[in-house]
Amino acid sequence: MDSFFIGIGVALCFLMLLTLHRAIHGPTAIDRIMGVNVIGTKTTILLVVIGTIYHRVDMFIDIALAYALLNFIVTIAASRYFHHRKNLIPKGYGFRFRSEEEK
Amino acid sequence: MIWQLDLSILTLIVICAFATIMVKDLLSAAIIFGAYSFLMCLLWTEMGAVDVAFTEASVGAGVSTVLFFAAVYQTSRRVGARKSGRLLSKAFALTAALLTGLVLLIAEADFPGFANPFTPASLHLSPYYITQTLHDTNVPNMVTSVLADYRGFDTMFETAVIFTAGLAVIAILRRFKKEARYDLPEPYVISEGYPDTIIRFVARQLVPFIQLFALYVVAHGHHSPGGGFQGGVILGASFILLAISFDFKIVLGIMSERWNVLLGNIGVLIYAGIGFLCLLLGANFLDYSMLSKVLPATDKIMARSHGMLGIEIGVAIAVMAIVVSIYLNIVSHGKYDKGL
Amino acid sequence: MTLVVILLTLTGIVFFFATTVGILRFPDFYSRMHAAGKGDTLSSLLILLALVLYNFHEVNLANLLVAIKILLIVVFIFMASPTATHAIIDAGYESDIKPWTKNPEEES
Repeated sequence: MDSFFIGIGVALCFLMLLTLHRAIHGPTAIDRIMGVNVIGTKTTILLVVIGTIYHRVDMFIDIALAYALLNFIVTIAASRYFHHRKNLIPKGYGFRFRSEEEK
Repeated sequence: MIWQLDLSILTLIVICAFATIMVKDLLSAAIIFGAYSFLMCLLWTEMGAVDVAFTEASVGAGVSTVLFFAAVYQTSRRVGARKSGRLLSKAFALTAALLTGLVLLIAEADFPGFANPFTPASLHLSPYYITQTLHDTNVPNMVTSVLADYRGFDTMFETAVIFTAGLAVIAILRRFKKEARYDLPEPYVISEGYPDTIIRFVARQLVPFIQLFALYVVAHGHHSPGGGFQGGVILGASFILLAISFDFKIVLGIMSERWNVLLGNIGVLIYAGIGFLCLLLGANFLDYSMLSKVLPATDKIMARSHGMLGIEIGVAIAVMAIVVSIYLNIVSHGKYDKGL
Repeated sequence: MTLVVILLTLTGIVFFFATTVGILRFPDFYSRMHAAGKGDTLSSLLILLALVLYNFHEVNLANLLVAIKILLIVVFIFMASPTATHAIIDAGYESDIKPWTKNPEEES
């Protein structure tokens, strides 16, 4: 059963890698907020899975609960920023080595 | 130590770190840095260091990221204009980083292997704490007992450092004159932000339970991962949630500037006060076993456990007040009129 | 019991995979947010439910406490994740992100 859960953990990490692609290459900043929110939820579950692998779930539950809380707070804070500063500037804000505009 | 998970999480962390530096937008860099903090906490949990992981989750992934957003809110999202290609400074930075890495790698060759049971630390130091903690202090969590009892001096100065950080932010940012706000360097459309019913309702329902959970973390630090720092930061984060979803002024009404600094003071005072109480009772500074003379119906061993609980409460109060104070200062740029 | 645990976990992973494919492949911010908000919450429920059942291999008070705490995480994710989804979509709407239309496409 342990190797099954280790496989589940590696599968979750692989899915996190795919979501990280959206978090890095998302054309707007809000796509990145969404990517980080999904990564945060996956990390919460991965924490409880790691606890099950180590056969000591009771230690890891508190951390998972605190994680879910702070993931929520970070997402709300990031989205409230866009209520106050309304320009979503899409051009020239990509990767450093790809964009040519340098104002 | 599961090597498959170790490898995958380390890959993700390196990718996140590269992405944080290479993205041009400062807000997006702060967001990806939040993801990096999340994954770092996961790595430490997987290695078995649960208290460190808890602290990183609450401080790094929670409050630090929100403070970055507050800083970007008050300044700009654009990286400052720099002249293209200062080759000398880049070469210098690269050389410095490579030299430091090389020295660390050479020093690492002298380290014993990972989790080797025959190192001097594992033979003489760790078995003492592992066997004697429950017998000396009646606290099963070894990390809390080392932090709060065996090395309590250290933790007291850490709390004082947190208080000093709050004072430093106030000293740098606080402005009392009603001068005109300077122009932001970019043509942003600045709006006031309408009140959002759903977020207000959910925040109003959740904040009492978040605070209850934070108090549980402080009080249960003797038996599970937790303690004063983590609980205090989660308490502060609950006030930040209130400030974000409701108005800035409402949190200012609950935790005014005066009360923040006062509570930060009181936290450090509780810690040092317990130490002085032990002095007055005839033992060393921060030697909690003498508290058995003051507390009713405790022997010397239980007195150490209660002393640890007392100082954890002091640390939690100080950390909560300072986290709220730093957030209020940064998000309003020291003027305390409106915020995120 | 083990079979139920394995089944629930694999269903949760399948839903997580569907969420990730949705995040990567949908053409528009709003549709990606649909995939992220809903699929995330359901997969969390399934996997955490499987872990609750896995811990019940013997029924005593400590395991009951662990099961209640895991269910507490599920309840919190059910309350917090849709609110976060609403907040992000509100931010997107306030910043004037245009929905994707099929014909004609001015900007892809």
